[in-house]
Amino acid sequence: MLRFVVRRLLLLVPILLGLSILVFLWIRALPGGPAQALLGERATPQAIQQIEHEYGLDKPIPVQYWRYLQTVGRFDFGQSVTTRRAVTEELRQKFPATVELALAAMFFSIIFGIPLGFFAAKRYGGLFDNLSLVGSLLGVSIPIFLLGIILKYIFAIQLGLLPTVGRIDVLIEIKHPTGFYVLDALIAGDLHAFLDTLKHLILPAIALGSIPLSIIARITRAAVLDVQNEDYVRTARAKGMSPGIVDRRHVLRNALLPIVTVIGLQVGFLLAGAVLTETVFAWPGIGAWLVDAIESRNYPVLQGGILFVALVFVLVNLVVDVSYAFLNPRIRLS
Amino acid sequence: MSLAEIESREVQLEAPQGLWRDAWQRLRRNKAALLGFGLVITFVLVALLAPWIAPHSPRAQNLSLIREGCCPGPSGHYPFGVDALGRDELSRVLYGARYSLLIGVVSVAVGLSAGLFFGAIAGFLGGIVDSVIMRLMDIMLAIPGLLLAIGIVAMLGAGIWQIMIAVGVVNIPVFARLLRGAVLAQRENDFVLAARSVGVPRRSILMSHILPNALSPVIVQGTLALATAIIDVAGLGFLGLGPQDPATPEWGTMLTGTVRYLQTAPHLAIIPGVAIVISVLGFNLIGDGLREALDPKLRGRA
Repeated sequence: MLRFVVRRLLLLVPILLGLSILVFLWIRALPGGPAQALLGERATPQAIQQIEHEYGLDKPIPVQYWRYLQTVGRFDFGQSVTTRRAVTEELRQKFPATVELALAAMFFSIIFGIPLGFFAAKRYGGLFDNLSLVGSLLGVSIPIFLLGIILKYIFAIQLGLLPTVGRIDVLIEIKHPTGFYVLDALIAGDLHAFLDTLKHLILPAIALGSIPLSIIARITRAAVLDVQNEDYVRTARAKGMSPGIVDRRHVLRNALLPIVTVIGLQVGFLLAGAVLTETVFAWPGIGAWLVDAIESRNYPVLQGGILFVALVFVLVNLVVDVSYAFLNPRIRLS
Repeated sequence: MSLAEIESREVQLEAPQGLWRDAWQRLRRNKAALLGFGLVITFVLVALLAPWIAPHSPRAQNLSLIREGCCPGPSGHYPFGVDALGRDELSRVLYGARYSLLIGVVSVAVGLSAGLFFGAIAGFLGGIVDSVIMRLMDIMLAIPGLLLAIGIVAMLGAGIWQIMIAVGVVNIPVFARLLRGAVLAQRENDFVLAARSVGVPRRSILMSHILPNALSPVIVQGTLALATAIIDVAGLGFLGLGPQDPATPEWGTMLTGTVRYLQTAPHLAIIPGVAIVISVLGFNLIGDGLREALDPKLRGRA
């Protein structure tokens, strides 16, 4: 097991190096080059020259790359062009919002997806099964931002039930020690604020979670159908084991492997899909931040944000791989 | 020419044909796939015939129609109502099919051809070439798709061609991995060994023996990729990264402004939205149907 983890960690090194090269080259390919990107569009030639000298942009490319690695290694992505604040600092503020949203979406898709797929498989070919198939097909065919708009229209505009903008009511004042508003409200012991943050989370989480929900339901259904006909399941049934125990100990546990893989694969999707969800619901996270950065040509923010999200994505995949090996002895021992 | 070679040729010619004929038989019995074909054919017809079936020009504005709070809904003259600038919504959606189809097909073609190229040489040459290409693909996969597309658009600037390239590039590693896997699986087959032993050049082995047999997963993935491409393109358009001329009737771009008028003119969000869902659904249904039809393991299952 330890050897497996070490090997996966070592495989990470070339990927991270490659990623940094890619982003480094990307900055150099930006319109006007990095100095202009840093200074904005109204930069004078003198200012550009000065910055190029200051940042060593007149040095050979390998030297520049080495310097770039050093600054990125210190988690220094420079300054936001629009706010003049350190990109890292803004990142620290925005990231919890996105994680909170992604976790809520993940939670939603798992607690509904697995039971849905399981019961569809149990009633294979029946009405419920067919309905769930149609539902999951529609789920993957509706763009998130469209679902977001529809949810907003039904629950906020027509029914007036839920808020559609931001993370918390503007009138509620609580301290934010963690940046996760739901947690912050719990720490403050403020029930009203806690319920308010949850209400703000519901619609964005459903919009973002719809595609993972469909995929998890589909995979669960397929995996349960597969496992149900295995010899060991038949043996367990033949022994006279109660159907509930067979389902839990034999069917679900073995069906869990592909489900976990698929859940892991959704993490990247959640991080990227957050861009669209956050735009629809004015959620102040990394996604909305990056979209603003494109509009204002805020390249330091784009660079830091994309590199950081990619890093998180790679690390989460590592965790998924390791937990997969933990669940599946055939991989762990090979 | 030995008897063995003649025989192996015959087998090769027949086996793929049998597979396709068999797949077609199964596909014809699959009602969901037929519905998918129906949706996609409608989508393509609308895209091709837009200038003849659209009642108005998609760009013609008629500001006299706009009242306070925006946008009259459906009426006799404008069956789907008009948008915030008094343009006919029906005509815009019909013309929008052209953009979605064009952008979707071109971007998948870009991703597919580049992915096939890299995947084929990685799988066929193996060794250092394989390692370098596949690590590069891993790195591209390390950036979530939509973000990679956004990064590319930031580099190239917003616009139709730019989002085609961006979505296409995002698709490259998917197809490269798929084809490499297929080539590796086919490389060890007896008929490849046979072809090699009689001195067929490596390139013709790849082109005429390995690629045709690796085709079916590529077709399935290509169809599903079209569905995702339409979604991604609409998403980039929604974010304002699509065509920079706001008069362009692109579905995603059309949705951007609608959020503001949701209260008074929900039809402006619903109509292009339904168009996106129908076209995506069509490709998804066909893709799923093809996967079942071409995969012998899935035979007989819903």
